[in-house]
Amino acid sequence: MESKKHSIQINNGERTLSAPAGDSLLSVLFKNGILVPSACGGNGRCGFCRVNITEGAPDFTDSERSLISETDRLDHVRLSCQIRVGSDLKIELPASTLKAKHFSGILEEKSPLTSDIVGLYIRLVNPEEIVFVSGQYVQLRSPMYNGRESSIRAYSIASPPSDKNHIELNVRFVPNGICSTWVFQHLQVGQKINLTGPYGDFHLSESSAPAIFIAGGSGMAPFHSILRDMAERKIRREVSYFFGARTQADLFYTDKLNRFRQENPWFRFIPALSNEPENSDWKGERGLITDVVARHFPDCSKHEAYLCGSPGMIDSCLNVLTRGGMPKDKIYYDKFA
Amino acid sequence: MTNPINDEAVKTNLHASKFSADGFLGNDNRSPEEIVAADEQAMKERGIELRELVALLKSAYQKARDAFGVEIELRPGVTAVYYESMGWIPSPFPGDGVFEKGEVTITETQTGRQLILTPLAIHLIETYRFFQGIGCRYRIDPVVAVELLG
Repeated sequence: MESKKHSIQINNGERTLSAPAGDSLLSVLFKNGILVPSACGGNGRCGFCRVNITEGAPDFTDSERSLISETDRLDHVRLSCQIRVGSDLKIELPASTLKAKHFSGILEEKSPLTSDIVGLYIRLVNPEEIVFVSGQYVQLRSPMYNGRESSIRAYSIASPPSDKNHIELNVRFVPNGICSTWVFQHLQVGQKINLTGPYGDFHLSESSAPAIFIAGGSGMAPFHSILRDMAERKIRREVSYFFGARTQADLFYTDKLNRFRQENPWFRFIPALSNEPENSDWKGERGLITDVVARHFPDCSKHEAYLCGSPGMIDSCLNVLTRGGMPKDKIYYDKFA
Repeated sequence: MTNPINDEAVKTNLHASKFSADGFLGNDNRSPEEIVAADEQAMKERGIELRELVALLKSAYQKARDAFGVEIELRPGVTAVYYESMGWIPSPFPGDGVFEKGEVTITETQTGRQLILTPLAIHLIETYRFFQGIGCRYRIDPVVAVELLG
């Protein structure tokens, strides 16, 4: 006997799917080529597979209560892996999610950028082109190796959207990290790579307000994409880019960014070192990146800010910027959650 | 109240998975409940209160996190450094949610003894009295923790 089916209307009818009763919403979306981000394979543990359900949602599960804030729950945010289709549903997805695809590519270059960050330059093979907005990220899948399970991790795209045939990523080594250990110790030039995307809504706004970019470590990646995109599209908007590192050895792309500054008078690059030896030849800023930003912008009420880094860095930057008068809705960041 | 560490689903999640390369048991041959019981006994013998220990761990983690990777001195001869990491890791206990991936290395400079603190490891101690197995990178031995931080 054929099981009962329900309809799933996406974004006010932009797409409508038919789903067997009892199937998980995540699996229905996947079967229909809609690649909602997920890292746990539908076990309700990672919290990535978020959708908004505006009609027909069942009660929240315990997993959802633990992974979705109360504010988001009031906004109808749900985990698609936890939703068993039991009635017709109306859901909302970010436009970017509807466009996300599976990609396979070949690693063309693997370059050490610092002692714990490598740059990957991947030529896309199937499909051969990607369309994305600078600031978005992809999910990289590491295969099984040395008894370790296949895993999925998010990395911002460092290349500009104009380079449609390639994806550039900055991967930081995480001790015991499954995906980053694979990248550092096993991935070779010429090897096949699988990824999905693009995802995320971190991007430069349409505003002409002066912008403050703040990053640390591999948080460099989205800004490397955004800045090159701005130059190519002739967006002349004042940008002050603060990059926090511990020592000079942790800086990368510095020559490129200094050249970029010479070619683009609207751009300032301010690297700041928090742990550089006092007697070194470093002539630039010293101290915590948040203190350096506060020194440069005691009043940032007329600016917008874009942040990419660890949750700790983002929390501290939010405090500094709001103390400087910046409205919270002018601060953009992506915690990959 | 029963410690959910006895649940079969949790025991499975404590092993290596797509989220944790080496799992939470290290090379410890004891069962999770035996690990919990042994650490509780060690704490009892030393007069260590769980709440006070968790407060010490949280305080050390936060001080180092606020310093963004600059080495700080927690007390004479004990330093802490925060290593940032983007992303989140889910708890092996269903329903707990996800935790920041950053970690803090505590070092006793004279002896080189180290502990690595993570928000998830502190949560597992606070909620389940689970300090993780011997050989696990993220085990926080309660006696060592008190000796370094107390």
